[in-house]
Amino acid sequence: MTALPRAAAVPRVLRDNRAAWAFGVLIVTWIAAILFAKGFDSVSSVRYLVQTAAFLGIVAVGQTLVIMMSGIDLSVSGVVALSAVVCAQVASGSGGAAGIAAALLASVLVGVANAAGVTWLRVPPMVMTLATGTIVAGALLVYTDGSPKSAKVPLLASFANDRVAGVPLAFVLWIAITAVAAWLLHASRVGRYVFALGNGERASRASGVPLARTAFIAYGTCALLAGVSGLVLLGFTSTSSLTMGNPYQLLSIAAVVLGGTSILGGRGHVLGTVAGALLLTLLTALLAAWNVSEGVRQIVLGLLIIALLLAYARERRS
Amino acid sequence: MPDRLTGALRGNVDVAGLGALLVVLLAVYSHYDSEVFTPASITILSAQFLPLILAAMGQSTVMLAGGIDLSLGSVLALAMAVFAVRAEDGVVLAAVLALLAAAATGAANGVLVAYAGLPPIIVTLAASFLWGGVTLVVLPQPGGSVPSGLVKAYNNGWNGIALPALAIVLVLVLWKVVRTTRFGLSLYAVGGNEHGAYASGIATRKVKISAYALAGVFIGLAGIGLAVQTGSGDATIGAPYTLNSIAASVLAGVSFFGGVGQMRATVLAALLIGLLTNLLLFTGLSPFYQLIMQGAVLIVAIAVKTFATRERTD
Repeated sequence: MTALPRAAAVPRVLRDNRAAWAFGVLIVTWIAAILFAKGFDSVSSVRYLVQTAAFLGIVAVGQTLVIMMSGIDLSVSGVVALSAVVCAQVASGSGGAAGIAAALLASVLVGVANAAGVTWLRVPPMVMTLATGTIVAGALLVYTDGSPKSAKVPLLASFANDRVAGVPLAFVLWIAITAVAAWLLHASRVGRYVFALGNGERASRASGVPLARTAFIAYGTCALLAGVSGLVLLGFTSTSSLTMGNPYQLLSIAAVVLGGTSILGGRGHVLGTVAGALLLTLLTALLAAWNVSEGVRQIVLGLLIIALLLAYARERRS
Repeated sequence: MPDRLTGALRGNVDVAGLGALLVVLLAVYSHYDSEVFTPASITILSAQFLPLILAAMGQSTVMLAGGIDLSLGSVLALAMAVFAVRAEDGVVLAAVLALLAAAATGAANGVLVAYAGLPPIIVTLAASFLWGGVTLVVLPQPGGSVPSGLVKAYNNGWNGIALPALAIVLVLVLWKVVRTTRFGLSLYAVGGNEHGAYASGIATRKVKISAYALAGVFIGLAGIGLAVQTGSGDATIGAPYTLNSIAASVLAGVSFFGGVGQMRATVLAALLIGLLTNLLLFTGLSPFYQLIMQGAVLIVAIAVKTFATRERTD
């Protein structure tokens, strides 16, 4: 966390608080969307936006934990698919509850494997998580023989589609998860360890920060949340597919970084990630509203991400 | 001087170790495919492995400069698409266009890394969206076509010469030359110790941009190779190359922190990964197991390497 600036000059506050920047950009983009595109000014559009942002947002909250300790999790795409596929497969035989339990267990196992590889085998996080993600993708092919099932799990469907007092339940779940993560990251001892490791692994290990325990909690939670997202997605679409997690690999990292968290770790706030996920979902919806082709959509998204990063997420030169 | 001496020794340990592994693998391989050492078989295998070898060389170039390229798969697909779309109107022009495109994408990555203060992983991540999108615009559906004569010559040999193998040798020689130039030396210096390199008068930003651009050339060649091998273009084919190129580079001993590693080791490592994938097919396992084995091999190889060379990273 950044210390409060002594002279409360506005530019200084903004410069030091990149999560606030993320919300600022989000609000400006939202206003621009309402002004320049059709269909962004209704309650139902806001509702739909926060509901769909929740799928990405839940994954991104977990990604924040890992990136904050200067790790990275490229296996989230695999885990999202793993969770949905396993749940659908198990639920069709033994019921929804068993499906959900099996899916979350499988997800956490991937996180545990990631942490074990990173801490004990000393494999760089990027390589380790790419490798586990690849293994999960392969395992799913073998498990489903290439054709995963679809399943209607009532509990998941209501999580994905129902509303409480007009607010989508998926959004409520996302915010609840964010609140817990904010406590974990910014108020608990584990969070202090995460920040310490992100700021300098060797120094923090020398001063007694338990690398292994922190890594297991961070990677485990990240995988668990990717699993939760997979379940909500399954509830949303009632079908599972082997590639349903693919967009989340890059987008979750983009959401974290657009939210103002340093990719090198140690700086940022999990609330920024909420803004990042909303911003990315809004941009995607905006591009969809303009009816451009998939290729152009990707180009614009890529350019926008680069431009936004240049605007407020540059790393200070050491 | 002693530093350089031990450095060279370590590099050769990597090459020797990989060479030994390769011999073992080839021995096992010849058990399943007794014709592996015939010219025809060498031609086919080199045609099959050329894209991965060149992609790995591109990734190694970036890693040597202390970076990482997550957009490699997208750029490879872009070069493949550009070449496949234009190949009918003249192969040479198409190749030049594809290489220019790939080098330009690399240079763009390099500029952002060198001047904008954004970490390579983020720049190339965003770039992978961007160039992936450009590729889809160039070639929305798999298609395009490469003159069949060229495809035949590449895959079946031309007057008994394995063109892909020749291409790999040529590129290695080219690298050898680059390596001895001022730029080549600076590349290792910048990757090894950026501040030190800057302090000793090296234009570190220029070196980084050139390194990414050179990597783009390698990746572009890989894309062209893939187009010629398959006879067409496909915008979505690049993704696995990102992982495998990183795997080959790390397996070859190219350090994540830059400045350490040898290109001939990268070539051997890429060859090893390619042969291993083929070997899996021979064992009669469902191809579904391929991904699992690839991931597992990657983890084991890197863990072993990390423990074997611990003093280097710690």
